[in-house]
Amino acid sequence: MQLRYVFSELGQGLRRNLTMHVAVVLTLFVSLTLVGLGVLLNQQADKAASYWGSQLQITVWLCKEKDDNPACTGEVTDAQKQAIEKVTKDNPEVADYHFESKEQAFEKVKELLGPDKFQGPNPAATAADMPQSLWITLKDPDQYKGITSAVVGLDGVSGIRDARQTLKPLYGSINALQWGALGTAAFLVIAALLLVANTIRLAAFARRREIGIMRLVGASTVYIALPFLLEALVTALIGVTLAAGGLGAFMYFGVHQRIEGKLNFIPWVGGSEYVVAVIAIAILGPILTLLPTLVLTRKYLKV
Amino acid sequence: MIRFEKVTKTYAGMGHPALDQVSVDVDKGEFVFLVGASGSGKSTFLRLILREYRASSGRIYVAGKEINRLAGWKVPRLRRSIGTVFQDFRLLPNKTVSENVAFALQVIGRSRSEIATLVPETLELVGLEGKGDRMPDELSGGEQQRVAIARAFVNRPMILIADEPTGNLDPTTSVGIMKLLDRINRTGTTVLMATHDAGIVDQMRKRVIELDDGRVIRDQAQGVYGFQH
Ligand SMILES: Nc1ncnc2c1ncn2[C@@H]1O[C@H](COP(=O)(O)OP(=O)(O)OP(=O)(O)O)[C@@H](O)[C@H]1O
Ligand SMILES: [Mg+2]
Repeated sequence: MQLRYVFSELGQGLRRNLTMHVAVVLTLFVSLTLVGLGVLLNQQADKAASYWGSQLQITVWLCKEKDDNPACTGEVTDAQKQAIEKVTKDNPEVADYHFESKEQAFEKVKELLGPDKFQGPNPAATAADMPQSLWITLKDPDQYKGITSAVVGLDGVSGIRDARQTLKPLYGSINALQWGALGTAAFLVIAALLLVANTIRLAAFARRREIGIMRLVGASTVYIALPFLLEALVTALIGVTLAAGGLGAFMYFGVHQRIEGKLNFIPWVGGSEYVVAVIAIAILGPILTLLPTLVLTRKYLKV
Repeated sequence: MIRFEKVTKTYAGMGHPALDQVSVDVDKGEFVFLVGASGSGKSTFLRLILREYRASSGRIYVAGKEINRLAGWKVPRLRRSIGTVFQDFRLLPNKTVSENVAFALQVIGRSRSEIATLVPETLELVGLEGKGDRMPDELSGGEQQRVAIARAFVNRPMILIADEPTGNLDPTTSVGIMKLLDRINRTGTTVLMATHDAGIVDQMRKRVIELDDGRVIRDQAQGVYGFQH
């Protein structure tokens, strides 16, 4: 098959409908970037969940001197602590546990809020204000009801904190961002499909004489449709390349340089997750342009 | 070469058939005029041969094949064996004469060397030697129609279909075009031509098929135009 004509038509077609092609490329760029972000966020959620899921800790606050919980009758006693430890040790859901002293708790708070507030004559709190606690590591993050219900009613227990309660907002915002990105992408994908359809309509109209003659002299349908398909492929590749670049920039300047250092209590997406996102958009991009092209060339170029 | 067996064509949404139980047999190498009033079905007849439409009923054989049953992807192959010329030339205005003729070969995948020999050869046959580099709008109507004929004939089709090829031309120019079609016919190509030109039909004395409201009302060897508008 002689492809000289096809390639000269491809160049001409891209130039003739330049504004439409630019519109298609930009829409593809933005929508594919959003899809890529959605894929990255999805992996981020998986990553964070698997990390926290494997190290999920439940914290049991023990009673202190002036506890908010009326069930407490003053500072937890050693006997109470031994009873709590025994229940914990015997529970099949527990993998590991350790006690945390008032001083250790105080150090953590100082670290989180900065030491300034705890110096001088009027400190915000002292070690004495902190509760002692028991840190329980679960065998299975989903199996926690047995141990919590066993411990919660014991003397000397003030309350229980499930780490998942703390992580929920994080998972929630990752989830919201993911669906926000994918939802916005869905609208843009529709816009991209319509733009592609319109581009083909314009191109078919601009080339109606040639197409009419090609059909008349017996050019095959594939041959007639080839310039359209190649145009679709070229715009898709440009869109995918731009989106991959955009995602790469986001990964480097956003995740790597900004977030990763500051929020290091969870693992962040990296190179391999980026590759997965790029593969996803590299598949989606050409589908978005080739599919309407195939459907419409069948319609407009029917022999 | 071409055989219509009780062919009826009713366009979608039309109650009345454009062709009604038409049976015609055209042998290889024949020259046939299709005449009849406007709307009698001449163009429909020709378009059915090209499989631009399928017949509503009946059978159409072209070169022994029943084209109504031809799969869609085989239609281009059928059309490569048929050259087509229209009243309005249908040249590509941004291509030279040579490029217009070469286009028909390029798009069906003929090689460069074939194109390089066939195009000048055909331009010479239609009397356009030396005008290959002109643009269509630098040619007279008669010359443009010669380019169109060259494009239709460059692939050496078995059949040449011409739908009022002289409709836009003055009588003298038309005679030149008819001589050309006659010459092509004498190479063994079957020629079917729809026309309203009484002078030409009467002069050529070829087979005449007259249609009236979609029916064949006359099929005459060495016929004349034979009716008044
Ligand atoms: N694509 C179409 N869709 C619907 N009706 C059509 C179509 N083409 C032709 N017709 C109708 O079919 C009938 C025959 O038309 P056709 O073009 O075959 O006539 P014709 O003999 O070629 O006329 P003319 O001499 O004016 O070219 C007419 O009534 C016309 O209106
Ligand atoms: Mg007609």
